[in-house]
Amino acid sequence: MRKLLAVALAAFAGTLFAQETIKIGVIADRVGVSRPYSEPNTEGVVFGANEINQKGGVLGRKIELLIEDDQSRPDISAALARKLIDQGAVFIISVSLSPAAQQQQTVTMEAKTPQMTPTNSADYLTTQLPNPYFWQTGPLGSTQIATLLAHARSKNFKRVALITDNSELGQAIGKAFKGTLEKAGIQIVADEVVARGATTAIPQMQKIRAANPEAMFLAGVLTAENVLIFRAYKELGVKFPIHSSYNLSVPVYETVAKGLIDGITFVDAYDPDKPEVRAFEAAFKKATGKDPQNMHGYGYDGIMLVADAIRRAGSTDKEKIRAAMQATNYAGVMGKKGMKYSFPDGKRAGFDTDGMVVRVYEKDKQGRVVHVGQK
Amino acid sequence: MQDFLELAVSATASGCIYGLIALAYLLMIRPTGIINFAVGEWAMVAAFGGYLLLTKHQLPYPLGMAVVLAFMLLVGWVSERVAVRPLVEKGAPILAPILALLGVLVVTREAISVSFPPDPMPVPFPFGIGRLEFAGIGGSYQSFFIIAVTAAVFAGTWVFFEKTLWGKSFEAVSLNRRAAALMGINLSRVTALSFAAGASVAGCAGLLVSPNISAHYLMGIPLAIQGFTALVIGGVGRVEGALVGGLLLAFAEQLTARYAPIPSGFAQGVPLLFLIIFLLVRPTGLLRARG
Repeated sequence: MRKLLAVALAAFAGTLFAQETIKIGVIADRVGVSRPYSEPNTEGVVFGANEINQKGGVLGRKIELLIEDDQSRPDISAALARKLIDQGAVFIISVSLSPAAQQQQTVTMEAKTPQMTPTNSADYLTTQLPNPYFWQTGPLGSTQIATLLAHARSKNFKRVALITDNSELGQAIGKAFKGTLEKAGIQIVADEVVARGATTAIPQMQKIRAANPEAMFLAGVLTAENVLIFRAYKELGVKFPIHSSYNLSVPVYETVAKGLIDGITFVDAYDPDKPEVRAFEAAFKKATGKDPQNMHGYGYDGIMLVADAIRRAGSTDKEKIRAAMQATNYAGVMGKKGMKYSFPDGKRAGFDTDGMVVRVYEKDKQGRVVHVGQK
Repeated sequence: MQDFLELAVSATASGCIYGLIALAYLLMIRPTGIINFAVGEWAMVAAFGGYLLLTKHQLPYPLGMAVVLAFMLLVGWVSERVAVRPLVEKGAPILAPILALLGVLVVTREAISVSFPPDPMPVPFPFGIGRLEFAGIGGSYQSFFIIAVTAAVFAGTWVFFEKTLWGKSFEAVSLNRRAAALMGINLSRVTALSFAAGASVAGCAGLLVSPNISAHYLMGIPLAIQGFTALVIGGVGRVEGALVGGLLLAFAEQLTARYAPIPSGFAQGVPLLFLIIFLLVRPTGLLRARG
């Protein structure tokens, strides 16, 4: 009888142990300025976590997501990172604004808790703080412009215009664009900014028209302001080609900029012909009933990278997870065909600098890939 | 020259939007003394109304516009009943309804934010995307539509205040509430109507600007700031001050961005500069009240 009781207790304890979850924190923006990107990112993370759990979880345990909303505010964001760590999160995924992810690092570095962002593209996230517990896997601003330039190289541009908005990210990407263009010996004949909340971009576009560039590079990330730029371009009847940052890879432009975007090339980390992308799109649609977009793919890759690191670490020990994450070699949804995320030579920006593609808008739809990588 | 005329049309259209928001402020400030910063959010509500009726349900533009503006009358009236009147009736200081209306601002924005997807929503142009040119002046159809509607709204408001008995009762309340009440003017009704009209005018601005910038949940605050700056420039004394302030602000913004030999980003400081200068040098605005 005693033996039977002991076996029953052991089985019960085993069941309890099996049911203990692995907690992953997610810091998202549900009401602030980055909500348009954060929301699909988060949906991608949730979809990925469900997929992992349906296949038995990680190390025999289910993943439990603890999702918090920081409104893209760095001050709130740091407090939420602390809260998630106190609640037992072994990894934090940041899908809010870059400055918020940066502020979270002050906590994760001190608490030695792994943190990653699958989407933030500000180059400074992994260069300003020596935080061995932080990684970014979204394509950097410098990678975007280098890929765009590689595509434009055949055109032999000598004089170009640059336009962006006054958001923090728009300025950061604009700065990266400017640096790379100048390094390539291309003259920037007009460098314009459209302010958040503007009602027109006619003055900026007139100035660009007067400078007579061979092409215009768009680094803005605010959808409404970018649409104003396209309207001014159309209204003034200018003809130079537009090359855009990856902000134009968000499909919302197909509806809000209808009739304005035909022929615009944009850099993207999403190749619709890639087998992994096709499988992801089919699975996502089946599970949610919605067509995914590239932003869902970033979030999906984020949770998959975290799960992969925990699996290889063989435990939820944060130090072991850190070492496993640093040794990542993983092919996901994002990036050109065959691209793998990795962090060679101690680097913590894991998107292959040669892994982006350039696509073109055709009949108001995101169209074919016209260029791959930086070569 | 063609460059300048093109810019003039664009600046006039932007100035009209600022002027309409300033007029919305003015309609409420004159009889009540209350500054309602929720006007920007009201413009946003109307923009989303435009998305729902004109884009999603594809109502004819005049009908959709009329329904949205009528709905905005209701929004203003309800806001006054819920957030302003109870405080005024209890004799609360003037700051109390202003703070309550800031609460309305937050509630409105969050309600829209959770009710719609995060991406900007398209609102159609009444006359499509196109360019009109005559006598060397060129601009989009929408720019000329904005200018025409704004002219009609300001003309109607001017006639209301100058030529109708109801308008005179508004003026009387703005001059002296107690004396107006003693003369038999119903203060509650004037206050409610001023909020309803303010919301409708702000909604008109939101509907007019939304085809250009789309309907999105963060569009309200910049409009509220631009309209407030236009109001400070033009002054609260006269209806036409709101339009003058809006036009002056838009021309200063766009001429600086186009012609000033400074980095483009610095042109964003122009509205702030105007606000500071007018608050310091001429806090009553350019146009003073008659009499």
